Amino acid sequence: MSSAARAGAENDIVSRVPDVSALTWALDAADYLADPGLAMALFMAVRLPQPLLLEGEAGVGKTEAAKALARVLDTPLLRLQCYEGIDAAEALYEWNYPRQLMAIRLAEATGEHRDEQSLFNRDYLMPRPLLAAIEHPGPRPAVLLIDELDRADDDFEAFTFELLAESAVTIPELGTIHAVHPPIVVLTSNRTRDLHDALKRRCLYHWIEYPSAQHTAEIVRRRVPRSGEPLTLGVAAAVSRLRSLDVEKPPGIAEAIDWVAALTLLGVESLDASSAKATLGSVLKNHDDVVLVRERGMPWLVGAEHG
Amino acid sequence: MSPPGARVVVEPAALAVALASTLHRAGMTVTPMQAGRFADALPLVLPRRRDQLYWTARIALVSEPSQLSLFDAVFAAVFDGMLDPADNRGDTAGPPPAGSEPRRRPVASQRRQVAGEADPSTSRPATAASRDRGAEQAPEQSVVPAVASPDERLRETAFADLEADEIAEMRRLVRRVVLATPRRRVRRTRANLRAGERVDLRRTLRRARRTGGEPVRLIHRRRRQHPRQLVLLCDVSGSMEPYTRVFLSLLQGAVCGGRAEAFVFATRLTRLTHQLALRDPDQALAEAAAKAPDWAGGTRLAESLRRFIDTHGRRGLARGAVVVILSDGWEHGEPHHLAEQMARLRRLAHRIVWVNPRRAAPGYAPVTGGMAAALPYCDAFVSGHTLAALDAVAAAISAGGPREQAQTQREQRAQAQREHAHRRDM
Repeated sequence: MSSAARAGAENDIVSRVPDVSALTWALDAADYLADPGLAMALFMAVRLPQPLLLEGEAGVGKTEAAKALARVLDTPLLRLQCYEGIDAAEALYEWNYPRQLMAIRLAEATGEHRDEQSLFNRDYLMPRPLLAAIEHPGPRPAVLLIDELDRADDDFEAFTFELLAESAVTIPELGTIHAVHPPIVVLTSNRTRDLHDALKRRCLYHWIEYPSAQHTAEIVRRRVPRSGEPLTLGVAAAVSRLRSLDVEKPPGIAEAIDWVAALTLLGVESLDASSAKATLGSVLKNHDDVVLVRERGMPWLVGAEHG
Repeated sequence: MSPPGARVVVEPAALAVALASTLHRAGMTVTPMQAGRFADALPLVLPRRRDQLYWTARIALVSEPSQLSLFDAVFAAVFDGMLDPADNRGDTAGPPPAGSEPRRRPVASQRRQVAGEADPSTSRPATAASRDRGAEQAPEQSVVPAVASPDERLRETAFADLEADEIAEMRRLVRRVVLATPRRRVRRTRANLRAGERVDLRRTLRRARRTGGEPVRLIHRRRRQHPRQLVLLCDVSGSMEPYTRVFLSLLQGAVCGGRAEAFVFATRLTRLTHQLALRDPDQALAEAAAKAPDWAGGTRLAESLRRFIDTHGRRGLARGAVVVILSDGWEHGEPHHLAEQMARLRRLAHRIVWVNPRRAAPGYAPVTGGMAAALPYCDAFVSGHTLAALDAVAAAISAGGPREQAQTQREQRAQAQREHAHRRDM
C-alpha cells in the first residue's frame, strides 16, 4: 500500500502547498504571519522534504511556526519537548508494564495460558511522540516538532537524528516499523549549546529575527482580538524600544501579547506612562531590567519624551 | 533585472555547484548534500526575484548565524553583478570579491613553514611578538628531546621567566594538566541493584523473565552524575603576554581532553573552542591566533565579560558551570562596571575561579581597580604562574559544592563588599 498511499499524500500536499506565496496566504489564514524567509523555509521543509532547524531568540515564534504549519496541512502536530536527560523511553516508546503485570496475574488467576507474544503486542505499547509521528497513518504526514533540542544531551540528539533519517523504528519484540508517511520535521533550538555539525548540515536552516514593530502589532492584534490598533501599535513600538535597551531578557512576541492582553483587561485604549508603569511586570521578568527601564523613564518607553 | 518576460534558463545543478564552490573558496563549509538540496529546491521554488533566490540559497546552504555575513557578501558579489549591474556600484564594493577572502588554513601552514626555515636556537626575547606564537612552538617535536631541564625545575619556574626553548616543553606539560569540574546530578538514571529513588520497571521485568516471571529482585534506578561545564576565559592583552603563551595550551588541553569552552579577550571577545579542538596543537594555536585580531591589545575586561554573558553565558553556557577567568585584572574602564558584570556572572555560574599570575609577585595585594572590584564575586583566587601552581588551579576548579567553606566565603565577600562601597564613597 505504501507507494500508492505515499503518492496520493504527495499530490495532496502539492495541491495544498503549490508555491511559496500560497503557503504564506495559508499561514496567514491560520493566523500566523510569516516573513518571506520563514515562508520559504517552511515551503522547502514540506516540499523537498527535509527537516528544518529553526533558531532565534526566545519568543520569536519558532514553536508557533510548526503549530501553524500543522494547521495549514490539517494534520496532527506531535510535539517532543526536550530536556536534559530525556531518553528513548520518553521520546520513542515504553511498554506498559503495570498492565502487563496485571495481565499475567489475571491469566494466572483464571488458569488461562498467556505466551510472551500476547504480552508484547500493540495493546501494551505506549507510543511516545517520535514513534507516533512515524506511525501516523495519514492521509497526510504529521508535523513533528522537536522543541529545544539543544536542551537534550548530545547522544540523544544523535539518536533522534538517526531515527528520522531512517524513518523507521525497530522494536525488538515487534520488529521494524517503517513510516508510511515520513513526518515533516521541525526542530527548534535556543542555542544554549552548539548542535552537532552533522545534524546542522542535514537540516534546512533558518534564523528567525525579531519582527518589526509593524509586524509585531499585526501579530498581537490577531492574538488578542479585543485589542485596538492604537494600543497594539504603541505596545509594539515600546517593545522594540525595550530591545534597544541593554536588558537581560529582551521581550519577544509572547511578552508583547501578554502585555496587550493585560492592558486590554484593564480597559486601556492606548499606552501611556502610567498604564505602562503599572503593567511593566507582564513584559519584563527580571528585576534589573525593571530598574533599568524605570531609570530610562516611562515617558521614553511610551514614546512621549518630546511631547 | 532582466527585462520582464525574458526567461533565463539556468541548470539547477550547475548553479548550485557554482555557488557552493564559491562559498567554499570564501571559507564557508558547504557539503555536497547541502548543494544537492539547493539544486533540488530550485525547480520547486522557481525563483523569479532576487529575494526568492536569496532565501532558497540561504536556507539550504547556511547552517549557522555566524555564516550569515559571509554568505550575504558572497551572494551579493555573485548575483548582484549578474542580475543587476547597476546595483554593483557604490557599497557593494564593500564586500571583497568572492574567493579573495583570507583563507585561514593555508595561512597557518605558511607560518609553520616559515618557522621551519628559521633557526630555532636563536634565542628570542621572552616577550616575542604574539604573531610569532605559531612560529615559536612549531619546532616542538624536534626540540623536545633536547630540553634536558628536569621537570622539577620547570615546575617551579614562573611562566614569564621561561627561556624560549623551554616554552615548547612547558606547553606540552601544561596540555596534560587535567581540569576536572565537580559533578552534578542529572535527570538520567542508571540501574542500581541495591538502592535508588525509583524502581526501574523495565529492567526489573526483564530480569524477572529469568525467575519465571516473578520479580524476585527489584532493580532501582539512581540519578547519574555528570561533570559540570567548564568555561575558560583567557585575557590575551599585552600585559598578560608572558603568560598567555602557556595558558593557551592549558585551554587547548581542556578543550581537547574534556568538553571545555574556551574564549579569549583583550578589547573584544573571541570564541576559540573550535580552533583549539584541532588535533594538531601547532596548527590549533596558529588558527587561534588568526581568529583573535586583538591579540596583545589593551584590556576591556568588563565589556568582554558583558559580551560573554550576553551572547553565550545567558543562553545557558555559564548556567551551573565552573567559569575560570585567567587575567591580571588590569581594567581600563571603571571598576564598578566590572563589578556589575561579575555580579551577573555570579548569578549564573556555579563557581568562579580567578587565575591571576600577578598574585605570586611579592607584596601583591588586590586593593585597587578591577581586581578588587571582581574579587568579592570569586569563589577562588589563585596564581597559576608556574606548573606547580596550576595544581592549585585544578584543585580550585574541582572543589566540591558551594557549601564547602560557604560560610567563611560569604563573610569574606560581605567584608570586601563593604570595603568596596566604602572606597567608592570616598
